[in-house]
Amino acid sequence: MIVIRQRRLRRMLQIGIPFVLVPLLVLLGALVFDQQRHLIVSFGVAVLSLLLFAAGFEKRVTGTRRLVLVAAMTALCVVGRLIPYLKPVTAITALTAIYLGPEAGFLTGSLSALISNFYFGQGPWTPFQMLGWGLLGLFAGYLAKPLTRSRILLILYGIFAGVAYSVLMDVWTVLWYNDSFDWTLYGAALVTAIPYTVSYALSNVLFLWLLADPIGRKLNRVKVKYGV
Amino acid sequence: MEILAIENLTFTYPEQEVPTLRDLSLSVPEGAFVTLAGKTGSGKSTLMRLLKQELAPKGTRSGSIRINGEEVGTLSPKESAALVGYVMQDPERQIVTDRVWHELAFGLENLGYAPQVIAARVAETASYFGIEEWYEQPTASLSGGQKQLLNLAAVMAMRPRILLLDEPTAQLDPVAASSFLSAVKRLHRDLSITIIMAEHRLEEVLPDSNRVWLLEEGRLLFDGTPKKALNRIQNDATWMCGMPAAARAFFALSGEGDCPLDIKEGRRFLQAQFPSPVADLPQSTATSNAQEVLRLDKVRFRYDRSGPDVLDEPELVVREGEIVTLLGGNGSGKTTALLAAAGLLRPYAGTVTVFGKPLKAYRGQALYDGCLAMLPQNVQTLFLKDTVREELADAAASETAIPFDFTPLLERHPYDLSGGEQQMLAFAKVLAASPRLLLLDEPTKGLDAGMKQRFAAMLQTLRDSGKTILLVTHDVEFAAEVADRVLFLFRGRVVSEGTPHEFFPDQQFYTTAVSRMSRGILPGAVTLDDVQRLFREATT
Amino acid sequence: MRRLEMQHPLTIVTILAAIGGISAVCMDPVLLSVSLIGGVLFYAVRHQGGRVAVYLTSAALFAVLALLNPLFSHNGKTVLFVVNNAPVTLEALLYGMVAACMIVAVLYWFRSLSELMTSDKWIALLSVISSKLALVLSLSLRYIPLFGQQIKRVRQAQKAVGLYKDENIMDRLRGGLRIMSTMITWVLENGIITADSMEARGYGSGRRTTYTVVRFRRSDALLLLLTALLTAATLAGLYGAGTVYYPSFSFAAWTPWRAAGYAAFCLLALLPTILEWTEAIKWRYWRSKI
Repeated sequence: MIVIRQRRLRRMLQIGIPFVLVPLLVLLGALVFDQQRHLIVSFGVAVLSLLLFAAGFEKRVTGTRRLVLVAAMTALCVVGRLIPYLKPVTAITALTAIYLGPEAGFLTGSLSALISNFYFGQGPWTPFQMLGWGLLGLFAGYLAKPLTRSRILLILYGIFAGVAYSVLMDVWTVLWYNDSFDWTLYGAALVTAIPYTVSYALSNVLFLWLLADPIGRKLNRVKVKYGV
Repeated sequence: MEILAIENLTFTYPEQEVPTLRDLSLSVPEGAFVTLAGKTGSGKSTLMRLLKQELAPKGTRSGSIRINGEEVGTLSPKESAALVGYVMQDPERQIVTDRVWHELAFGLENLGYAPQVIAARVAETASYFGIEEWYEQPTASLSGGQKQLLNLAAVMAMRPRILLLDEPTAQLDPVAASSFLSAVKRLHRDLSITIIMAEHRLEEVLPDSNRVWLLEEGRLLFDGTPKKALNRIQNDATWMCGMPAAARAFFALSGEGDCPLDIKEGRRFLQAQFPSPVADLPQSTATSNAQEVLRLDKVRFRYDRSGPDVLDEPELVVREGEIVTLLGGNGSGKTTALLAAAGLLRPYAGTVTVFGKPLKAYRGQALYDGCLAMLPQNVQTLFLKDTVREELADAAASETAIPFDFTPLLERHPYDLSGGEQQMLAFAKVLAASPRLLLLDEPTKGLDAGMKQRFAAMLQTLRDSGKTILLVTHDVEFAAEVADRVLFLFRGRVVSEGTPHEFFPDQQFYTTAVSRMSRGILPGAVTLDDVQRLFREATT
Repeated sequence: MRRLEMQHPLTIVTILAAIGGISAVCMDPVLLSVSLIGGVLFYAVRHQGGRVAVYLTSAALFAVLALLNPLFSHNGKTVLFVVNNAPVTLEALLYGMVAACMIVAVLYWFRSLSELMTSDKWIALLSVISSKLALVLSLSLRYIPLFGQQIKRVRQAQKAVGLYKDENIMDRLRGGLRIMSTMITWVLENGIITADSMEARGYGSGRRTTYTVVRFRRSDALLLLLTALLTAATLAGLYGAGTVYYPSFSFAAWTPWRAAGYAAFCLLALLPTILEWTEAIKWRYWRSKI
């Protein structure tokens, strides 16, 4: 295992691999393979970046308490996902990330996707969902400072997260069906997904608005009192 | 050989002026069974945690604690983890993994043992504790008693030389508590492992301990054998109320000779005190004509369609101004009956009538608005604020609603309170709904003996002011003290009932220690007061 | 050899992922038909025939997906009819059917994967990559039923002291928030107890080993090897010129290589079912001897 010592480089890779590399490779795949095998390429990259994250996580020192809190927040997300229509997953993930850090955010998001699919059924979409939710957590963690300072930014993040999630997952839906990227199909997928997108965004905004205060205070207390 | 030595230990929590532990000096020989007794807040938990390096609270410590000759805090993490085993109060939250076998293996994995070694040790431990049957089960499916036994087994798989047990039975029902304690006693007998146990259930622990530490406000009041400890505190009512019934009877009657500790010795003592037969206690029968407050009429309920009826038409009637206690084992339907009475479950047959109106006739929140309120079994389900003050304000509860002083606690977080204090806070929130019928589910969980007495007095005052109380409990002693009427539930039916003096003398197992001890000698005696009264009558 | 469910998690995942993976990349009608038959057969064998609802749902999904493509894609030269000035072509319909076949087949394989790979098997597998992550997963899985119960208790408790109402939507929202708030405190504070209990038992004290009850046997090694060979054979056989859909449909030329590839995939797609059958037959035999 290669251990990257430089903090900055490590952090850049952490965002760079999943977020820049995945779409880039998908695009490259589109050009190079010419209408073939985008799905397997993007699938492979998604799994690989998750595995890389896992391997990196194993090497890092994480406090026992932080570990348990991440597990607990993940479980809370999954239980929340069982609520019909409204999904507090992204909101809880984002708030966990803001108070416990980007890595905790990524873990909470991706594990919530993985675990809730134990109940909803695993599929080839699992790695993409894991990556999608994980990234939404990761970014919330990096944006912790502005997001805690301004409620408006937090709300905007909720809308962004809802839309981004739909846009990302639909790319994959199209790839799976058509194996090559087709704009008309993508457009159609986006349009049919509008009700879902709106419900994601609304849920995010609603739950971020309502939960930001209680979760924030409570996570803060635990952080201060028990030195997480 | 001395396995634990504490010298001049003083400990103060951060931002507090008064030390929680003051100048403790203790030593424990290998193979001892030490019981640590003390009221809530006496520093028991702090002392126990200081003995376990990983759990030691933050704060300033002076003096030394040496385990096996080495100072706590300087042990290597692996050494410390293996040397000292620690079982906490809450059976649920101590469990880490989702399968029984994995829980047993968890500690050994952490110590880095090879898988073959782990396999052997886990297998051995599972057979010793008799948990082979549920070896592959998810931990979530276990009962509270099984969970705590699993916690003990998981710690023992690491082969510790000292076992620290911090009120391990506080959350268990009496049957589960007894079987847990017998597992502990068996461990002590079989392995001669050193055990230090903080415990409220002294009735069962004291006879087997060879050492008692009495802790009072952080100071060591006494260190010695149980009998000597009892001699030392015999005149202190706040201490004596938690002690075994045999010892309390002994000091209440004569206090001469050897102090009895268990039921067997207690019987011998009573036989000597009452050589000739005694007249029965005057019986008071409850034939109240007061208005009916609650009635369960042909109520049937089950949790799932294929399961058995948890409520099988129990005949349950509660009249105004009485305290009724529901007793029964696990799964007898006690809590279910209470939930049905509170309108939180919908029976599939029969009607629940509250204040003369069937539950269905209550629209919306009318039932919970000045009519009835319930104290839940798990009081943390009521806490959502950051301080006790906000918590009281949340329910518009007054600080003086109950005779309990909240003033020093107002700025504390509800979860930082002791179990007993949490219970009081929840009780204040429940009373804020100004109910005329109070439903209480296991209200004495986590209360020490002194608190229990005060709580009993509180309930009696409430009753005298016109409230009606239905409470579900495993705590036979408490029921005997507080109840006007006792009902015994078995498989969803009421199988026997009566006033405490009618009910308990008739029972063999499910009755007070005094009743078990005085059976055949003092007919009808249920509480220590009864024994004292009969003694006075016999001697005059 | 024992049935797939009893094999090592790695074997289960590898076999099912290989079949699903090949199905997802090869838009080949023959191969995908085999994959679909294999997937349905495996499901049916494990469920003693299976549920009618499952078959109906997948048939409906197949129909929708097959018809979707000709509505969006107007490539192909055999025009069947014209809708809204847009031609619906035979080629697009064929492509849609093959794509639908692929999706339904993959769904059947993943359904089996979900059923065979229970959460504890995923944990066992994950602990090879990261024991820490496996632990987080295990902890979460333990918490979920616990939280579900607690939510119910919280609702009841707050209702019974008159602090939770559910008469209208605002009340429900407010009530939901109360429950959430109570839960979060409880979850966090109790998490600390779990963390203490972990440290008391030496978690984080240094190098950790992993103990699992699953065993890697010789049969697992054999199956993995077989899967690798069959996958390689399939991919090699089918590499190169494939089925062409547009502008007009034509099968790839038959070569011995291609035939061998199909044969290899047939065996691979039927492997799970064969394992299931052989065990059933063996059992019947053993039982008759007892």
